[in-house]
Amino acid sequence: MSERQRLGGGNAMMSVGLLMLASLVAITLFGTLIAPYNPSETSADSLAGPTAAHWLGTDSIGRDLLSRLIVGGRTTLLITFVAVTLAVCCGLVLGLFCGYVGGLADQVVMRILDVVFAFPVFLLAIAVVAALGPSVPNLILTIAIVYTPRLARVVRGPVLSVKRWDHVEAARSVGVSEFNIATRHVLPLIVSPVLVETSLTLAQTIFTITALSFLGLGPPPPDPNWGAMLSEARQFMELAPLAVIGPAAAIVFATLTFIVLANGLRERLDVASR
Amino acid sequence: MRRLVLIRLAWMLPILLGVSVVAFVLMRALPGDFAQASAGTTELAPEALNIIRRDMGLDRPVWEQYLRWLGKLLKGDFGDSFTTHKPVLGELLPRLAVTAELTLIAGLMAMAMGASSGLASARWRGRTDWLVRGINGLFLAVPNFVVATLIVLLAGLYFPEVGIFNYTPFLTDPLGNLGSMLLPAFSLALAVSVTISENTRAAVLEVSSQDFVMVARAKGLRPSTILWQYLVRNALTPIITVTGLQLASLLGGSILIETIFTIPGMGQYLFDAVSGRNYPVVQAIVLVAATIVLLVNVLVDVAYARVDARVSYE
Repeated sequence: MSERQRLGGGNAMMSVGLLMLASLVAITLFGTLIAPYNPSETSADSLAGPTAAHWLGTDSIGRDLLSRLIVGGRTTLLITFVAVTLAVCCGLVLGLFCGYVGGLADQVVMRILDVVFAFPVFLLAIAVVAALGPSVPNLILTIAIVYTPRLARVVRGPVLSVKRWDHVEAARSVGVSEFNIATRHVLPLIVSPVLVETSLTLAQTIFTITALSFLGLGPPPPDPNWGAMLSEARQFMELAPLAVIGPAAAIVFATLTFIVLANGLRERLDVASR
Repeated sequence: MRRLVLIRLAWMLPILLGVSVVAFVLMRALPGDFAQASAGTTELAPEALNIIRRDMGLDRPVWEQYLRWLGKLLKGDFGDSFTTHKPVLGELLPRLAVTAELTLIAGLMAMAMGASSGLASARWRGRTDWLVRGINGLFLAVPNFVVATLIVLLAGLYFPEVGIFNYTPFLTDPLGNLGSMLLPAFSLALAVSVTISENTRAAVLEVSSQDFVMVARAKGLRPSTILWQYLVRNALTPIITVTGLQLASLLGGSILIETIFTIPGMGQYLFDAVSGRNYPVVQAIVLVAATIVLLVNVLVDVAYARVDARVSYE
């Protein structure tokens, strides 16, 4: 089976998920180009309903909602993608190290992680952002801090069993260095559960980021983002319900994307459901 | 049994100690000066700042500061709020009670919704199963604060007579209090119920494929007897575990829900503290929440052992 077949074909859930992901990536990459208006540009007709000029209407100071939704998605998704990439990298290094090396180092790291697990994720995120101050780099750092322990644990489990397999022993007996065994003979075999977990972490990160922004702890204005848009729209919700429904739908769509993708991956890669 | 509880509780101590270190470091690693933050102003003479520092013991080595802080903590002294200058504990407890009530109602709701839909899904399979899982998949993707905002929107548009922001304290009007908690608890419970539902379904299906269930069927027991006496009882373990483990997300979510529905609980207290840079309050809430999560994890373990005789921690 070629790599492409293994990851792509023959699974409706997977195809739908990839299609949804493609639209999210397009918004992230080309958001500022697609948006019909400047998202910060105000106009005279505020809180207008949908028109041919403004498909989703305008907000309380006359900014085009659709443009804000697209550009806001760019901010939200960019933070999410970068932060989760960082968390996955750290989780892989930490999990691989703990699982492969084992012994005292493993015990110490795992006990430290137990401490992190005691905090409710969202509460920890709030505390870290409150300490660091809300800015894009700090939000990325916060997400990485909060989710790295979870990913490390997901990596460590399979590493513990794979490192006892025969091919590892064989590699060692022909003199392959421990580092190369870990990265070339163990790592490729644990990719499946990590991919599924990455997708789930992306879904959770969308929640955490938008929820933090909803509470006013997100990326600073004037750049729009979904969480802050939803929160601001509550003030005039009876007058402009679309201003609430728009970001709400966007958040649900993004979360759904990664859940669908995770399920598709799980089915495709035959990872046991947790 | 008692030994199990004791061992579990003893295990909590080192983790709690770690939690306290994290909480301490989080607040001392702040950008800027802790003394300045506590005074609430940046325009203080250096002499005045030095006096505050000495009063708070900030001129001593970090480990000594930590031990002093920990000692006070053990006596129930969480420090004074920066804004009201009253002990944090006294302000926190009544709010904690409100959050505990909200979380409890939401937890029960999630359990009822999740267990019944999961059971229905596993019992009837076919179209019911398909429907439940489809709805579950969708609801899993709707964050609790989005649910809450949409409920507020719907109520505002179509049911203006329903007062959704009318929080009533339990002591003045117990029934009214419960009523005012229903919608917030529902928004909190929805996503959690999905997890419970999926786990219930999986657990019941797993049990129903086991030999003793087949024997029960073969000897002609009624399907309802099999369902309640065999399947549900055995599926209880995962349901309890999952509900317990979801407590952390219920507690985290209550911050958002309380802010949206203006319920004067711990979440709203935290929100105000974060916006007002009231660090002792943030610290106290983080500590209390982590302790609750740890305690509930112990309870889950114990409940697990009670329900399932195969589990032993000897």
